Amino acid sequence: MPKTAVTRITHSCHLIEIGGRTFLTDPWFSTRPGYYQGEPIAIAFLPKLDGVLISHEHYDHCDLQAFAAYRDRSVPLFVAETVAPLARKHGFTDVTALAPWEHAEVGGVTITATPAQHGVYEVTFVLRAGSDAVYFAGDTMLIPELADIPERLGHISLALLPTNGLHIRPANNMQVVMNADEAAELTAILKPELAVPHHYAFTKGFLGDRLITHSDKNPLHFQDASRDLAPETSVRIVDPGTRVEL
Amino acid sequence: MTTTTYAVDVTEIGPVEVSVTEYGPGSGQPFLLLHGGAGPQSVTGFAEKFAALHQVRVLAPTHPGFAGTARPGALDSVGGLAALYQGLLDTLDLTDVTVIGNSIGGWITAEIALLASPRVSGIVLIDAVGIEVPGHPVADFFSLTMDQVFTLSFHNPAPFRIDPSTLPPAAQAAAAGNRAAIATYAGAAMTDPTLAERLAALELPTLVLWGESDGIVDADYGRAYAKAIPMAQFQLLPATGHSPQLETPDQVIHAIWDSADTDFSAFAR
Repeated sequence: MPKTAVTRITHSCHLIEIGGRTFLTDPWFSTRPGYYQGEPIAIAFLPKLDGVLISHEHYDHCDLQAFAAYRDRSVPLFVAETVAPLARKHGFTDVTALAPWEHAEVGGVTITATPAQHGVYEVTFVLRAGSDAVYFAGDTMLIPELADIPERLGHISLALLPTNGLHIRPANNMQVVMNADEAAELTAILKPELAVPHHYAFTKGFLGDRLITHSDKNPLHFQDASRDLAPETSVRIVDPGTRVEL
Repeated sequence: MTTTTYAVDVTEIGPVEVSVTEYGPGSGQPFLLLHGGAGPQSVTGFAEKFAALHQVRVLAPTHPGFAGTARPGALDSVGGLAALYQGLLDTLDLTDVTVIGNSIGGWITAEIALLASPRVSGIVLIDAVGIEVPGHPVADFFSLTMDQVFTLSFHNPAPFRIDPSTLPPAAQAAAAGNRAAIATYAGAAMTDPTLAERLAALELPTLVLWGESDGIVDADYGRAYAKAIPMAQFQLLPATGHSPQLETPDQVIHAIWDSADTDFSAFAR
């Protein structure tokens, strides 16, 4: 059985290898005014993909304009229902909307959408092949429903979790993404062998970080919190472009 | 501080030479600082102070035609200047640039924002002109004496007032050139009736700073400017006129640098 592995491209965009298949999550390959990765985009060209997962329609997770340059727009997309019409509009022909706990199969890999909560409708995903399972958390808040994942979908081996606790200042400082402590709490619930933080380097730029958002850009806070709350899990802070095997 | 002349190829205008004075370390957070009709010297002290205090990189161009510099005939609008500075940022390959502009420089800043370059991450409009606000016209600069301009431009004009007739001939010629450049770029009204409507689509972090005693464009004009831009934050600067970076530079630096700690609801009155 080929090894399960993840290569973080940037932000929440990963290449996940599982069951001999390759999946892309939340594509983001360009920049716009006030939207910066804050770290490199570590890819020159994409490998052949067996599927793409998109959690919600925000530009930094759903850069369909850039991703439409991918060589095969019949690649299967598994998306939140709000993303489906946008994906079709960009010429993608094999688009499946998954609601929480609905699943689909691709070449022996089971893709199950899981709950989420964010500023807009969002789903997260579990990919399973045999005894390996990867949980991709997009940029959800920590919500009680996520505690059902192990019971309903079995053991999670690898968790990809947001950690910046993004707050939107003009919206009464509303929190829209889980923070490092909450990500550690979720790690303790999921009990994966490996957890990789994402969604922390993002910046809205000098002024945007002062006027629009505030966030924790230090992934070490997640590593520290996990050491206390989930000591059995190994936390790896992964630079874009580094492939990590389970 | 270094001054460099860049040749920038601007679409539909052609090559334009622009003189840019740079302050602070090259590795610092970048700011593009655009002067108004008062000319490039009206931002010099502020640029030096801001760069030294926070180790930021401040790039302060002289708009072609000001301070005795050449202006190509085809460069005759605020939109043209915006295209020039977008081209300059491309030439310098800068990202996460905050553009700061005072008066006509603020208008140019608004037009740069509308070009939606990913290189520009935010804008600061300081007593900007450019929009039309019913009941709050921009003072008619061209019909005023210089003495009246000083009176309207400063909370306390005394330290800034000069008698233009006492200036050496070269400075008088430059001042006349500045006046001609203002007329060319901004026209007599100093507004574009389409600007406010276009700003409604802007998705860029925006800080609007306004001198409470501005007699060129009053505080309600500033509030209307902030209202025209989604999510713009407005802050009134006390004991300050039309050129806050000249009159109260510390206040302007604090307003920008510490904007995360500002309770903007206090300024919405």
